[in-house]
Amino acid sequence: MSITRRSFIKTLALNSAAAAAATLFPGISFGAWKNVDQSSGAMQWKKTPCRFCGTGCGLLVGVAGERAVAVKGDPNCTVNKGLCCVKGYHSVQILYGKDRVTKALVRKNGKLVETPLNEALDLVASKMQETIKNHGKDSVAMYGSGQWSITDGYVSSKLFKGCIGTNNLEANARLCMASAVTGFLTSFGLDEPMGCYDDMDHADVFITWGNNMAEMHPVLFSRMLANRKTKGHVKIIDFATRTTRTSQAADKSILFRPQTDLAVANAICYEIFRNDWVNWNFVNKHVSFHKGKTNIGYGTEDHFKFQDKAETVDLETYKTFLEDYTPEKVEKISGVSAEDIRYLASLYGDPDKKVTSFWCMGMNQHTRGTWINNLVYNCHLLVGKISTPGNSPFSLTGQPSACGTVREVGTLTHKLPHGVVMKEGARKMAAKIWDVPVENIDPKPTYHTVEMFRALDRGDIRFMWIQVTNPMVTMPNLNRYRNGAEKEGRFVVVSEIYPTPTYDVADVVLPSALWIEREGFFGNSERRTQHNEQIIPMPGDCMSNTWQIIEVARRMGYKKQFPWPEETYIEDSWNEYIQFHDSPKHRMAPYNDLKARSGIQWPFVDGMETKWRYNAKYDPAAEGDDFDFYGKPDRRAWIWLRPYEPAAESPDSEYPFWLNTGRILEHWHTGSMTRRVPILHRAAPESYVEINPDDASRMGITNGMKVKVSSRRGSVVMKASINGRGRPPMGMVFVPFFDESYLINEVTLDAFCPISKQPDYKKCAVKLERV
Amino acid sequence: MMENSEQKMGKVFLVFAGICIVVLPLIVFSAFSFESDEGETVVVKTGGDDFDQSGEAIFINYDQLSREYLAGTSTGRTLSDYYDRRQYPGSPPYIPHKVEEADLAQVECLACHARGGWSEELKMHTPITPHPEQTACRQCHIEQTDAKLFVDIDWMSVTTPRLGRSDLPGAPPPIPHELQMRGNCIACHVGPGTVAAIRVEHPSRGNCRQCHVAETNAGLFSRNN
Amino acid sequence: MPVFSYLAYPKRGAKEQLLKDLASLDYCETTPAENEEVLILVTDTPGEDQEKALQKKLKKLNSLESLGMTFGHVDP
Repeated sequence: MSITRRSFIKTLALNSAAAAAATLFPGISFGAWKNVDQSSGAMQWKKTPCRFCGTGCGLLVGVAGERAVAVKGDPNCTVNKGLCCVKGYHSVQILYGKDRVTKALVRKNGKLVETPLNEALDLVASKMQETIKNHGKDSVAMYGSGQWSITDGYVSSKLFKGCIGTNNLEANARLCMASAVTGFLTSFGLDEPMGCYDDMDHADVFITWGNNMAEMHPVLFSRMLANRKTKGHVKIIDFATRTTRTSQAADKSILFRPQTDLAVANAICYEIFRNDWVNWNFVNKHVSFHKGKTNIGYGTEDHFKFQDKAETVDLETYKTFLEDYTPEKVEKISGVSAEDIRYLASLYGDPDKKVTSFWCMGMNQHTRGTWINNLVYNCHLLVGKISTPGNSPFSLTGQPSACGTVREVGTLTHKLPHGVVMKEGARKMAAKIWDVPVENIDPKPTYHTVEMFRALDRGDIRFMWIQVTNPMVTMPNLNRYRNGAEKEGRFVVVSEIYPTPTYDVADVVLPSALWIEREGFFGNSERRTQHNEQIIPMPGDCMSNTWQIIEVARRMGYKKQFPWPEETYIEDSWNEYIQFHDSPKHRMAPYNDLKARSGIQWPFVDGMETKWRYNAKYDPAAEGDDFDFYGKPDRRAWIWLRPYEPAAESPDSEYPFWLNTGRILEHWHTGSMTRRVPILHRAAPESYVEINPDDASRMGITNGMKVKVSSRRGSVVMKASINGRGRPPMGMVFVPFFDESYLINEVTLDAFCPISKQPDYKKCAVKLERV
Repeated sequence: MMENSEQKMGKVFLVFAGICIVVLPLIVFSAFSFESDEGETVVVKTGGDDFDQSGEAIFINYDQLSREYLAGTSTGRTLSDYYDRRQYPGSPPYIPHKVEEADLAQVECLACHARGGWSEELKMHTPITPHPEQTACRQCHIEQTDAKLFVDIDWMSVTTPRLGRSDLPGAPPPIPHELQMRGNCIACHVGPGTVAAIRVEHPSRGNCRQCHVAETNAGLFSRNN
Repeated sequence: MPVFSYLAYPKRGAKEQLLKDLASLDYCETTPAENEEVLILVTDTPGEDQEKALQKKLKKLNSLESLGMTFGHVDP
């Protein structure tokens, strides 16, 4: 018997036995997983937004008894129309890691010890009150997250800004989307995209600006691929600093040197003028020109302050400014050929092509992040390709609710749910809705995230409550901030689901409900709010973040501001929150509509979603009969004259490589959830450093060899990956940050965009050594 | 070893085994005797919301395929192999073979998985995707290493649908799985690359859903009085 | 090369023991059921003599209650 024939017969044998067994024992399982009592027919499907990226796919979770047992895409959700990615399909497994935190823990004699939940909450409240009494209200802080459910952010804002009266409220979206926000505010006066995902079905050209969309927003990327397949002429251009899966799928891959995106964007605008592709009708009616300060610094020193100053200029000044950015001049610094720059410009300039630009961390985690966001808007504004189906400068959001929670609720030091703390009108509105004296609300912003962790290090902040984020892995220049959090006299409360390096520095750990274990809301990149009910019970002593904050607030004496009963507190706080947005520019959908539907976009006006803002054809808040950029006082979109300025720390003779960091498809952020999902962990069990093959062979480094990556701040030893899924150009290395055993942020630099205060995780200088 | 009460069952099994022995040479013969190189699975635009509208694919596919392909039987892709690659019924299976990323060129999964056929390299028939219109394969299907788990997991899911679920002997069993992305029956139930246990021996009938209906968990009928 | 498959029923409570016993025998592959007291056993012996010897060993197993054959193939 040959091998193949014998194995064939053996499998036939096995099959026969299995079939016989199935007949005798209905429900028998030789399967790959342990079984719940019910068969697949008894599953119930419940909707929820996905727990992961800012795409905001709608999922249906299969529930059997009290367990989540399966996932499928929600066909009723227009975002993904029934498709997910590998993380979404296995998302329910994040609930079941065996080391789930289900009991409160308090650090006693250096060790975290299980404590009754009430005691832990009492301790948090009393410690906060004690710290405020001894060191003032600005010595306590809350650090939240773009993965916070909307009401989590809302009650934090009410407690810290309305009741305690401190602006020490920040969230990790500062590290992820702040430049996008300041980009929107400086160009348009209002936050969040003017287009929507429907643009993907209409566009003729897609340009990704420094984002690996195939791995980071995979379901949206699939929509682009589907568009290209059906329409045939559609082009996808990948404009990036390294070759990735996105480059593989694109029609053209153009590489640029880090930071020179600023120059290339200006060169595109130069070409648009030179070829007279400018849409003069649009520009004359709807655009004005402005410049700000230059040489604005990098924020690496404590107490760094920067205030921009806007100056209106005219068209001629702008054209003169652009003369420094001819394609030939820009080719020299960017490595992008003049021909490719002209090609990109021609795509924007062709009046018959609808162009959608996508970007995410490449442009936001940038020491001139606000500027590069402005400059890509300029490319669209000069040709009038904005706010119409398919013409869309689209800032993609990284986290599932950076928009919904951090940006829309305003959980940042200077923000209120409507407006900013500096404006009296906004403070009065908040005081009225919150039922607190308007004097409580401090008109002066305090610290942005990096400065807040510096303040913790210096001792200006002594109490910090961290929820739904892992700063002891993600803060740039990590060594300083971890040492700071561990100093004497610092009290750190961490609301967590699994043990992480942030949990490791906590004085109190509060067990938290995860995702579908509590009712919640997320708001995604395209202004779509999605609701999930509580689908499965919370384990152990877990509580939702919202309820934890309410419990602590009541213990601090703020029962009046947090009166809602446990049965309805999510609905009640939602209803209170949406009062802040009650205008056609931002109206949120009512609770019952969100509960019934698979997501609703805001503005939600008279039962209709506003898909394209600033266009009177689609937007009830726009006046006139075409475009109305009502966010700005002159009702125009602002073109900013932003120059190229170099990175904070570029490679030199001692540290000759760029260090670029980011994510991969399988893992979400610091991996605390996805590494506990077997299929995701086994696909990518360990982090690595991607090295260019020519650099590697010159240094004698082979695939899998240990390499030390060091900067002026720290070093990490990790395995080399050569010709894996990504290939950096010569002189650059890339490290994904999902693996807490390789804390690459000990190596990165805490330089940030002076306007947005968002750190640049994509550029610092390192050296490599074989180990 | 065998007690009296077991002897009857033993006789049944021997008869069963006997049938297998007789049928076996036939199966082996036909498995190794046909050329598989046909029937690229059909791409149908799924426009609707409930995925019951992509049944067109079956008819187009059926028309394209030869009788030999429809009658193809082979190998042991077993149900346990099938479920081993999944985390719950319907989850995207991981890629059980190495994927060469030669110089970062785009990997062409559909070169094998759209048409099926014999893979000389892996010595098996290729399973066919029921959803070839989704071309970003590796956003859902990923390779695995044999790394130890980072942390152990307490995962459970529903029992897999068992075979032979007809309400009456000989009746067509209902469709025990979701139709979302799995509306092309031919891709998984017909041909040499399929799981042997669910392969149908009557694909020539063409209109699967005239006999096999989707199962729901609605209870029994009752009048509302 | 005789190939047989069986459903193997352990004596009450002896499923783990039976699994161990069968795993220690040559030419045997076992697949235990997750949720029933039964295992699948596939045997694949090189020839008649080894087959007879294996049958003797199986008969001696204390943890085995009964075997139900579900498939048999013997080369002619």
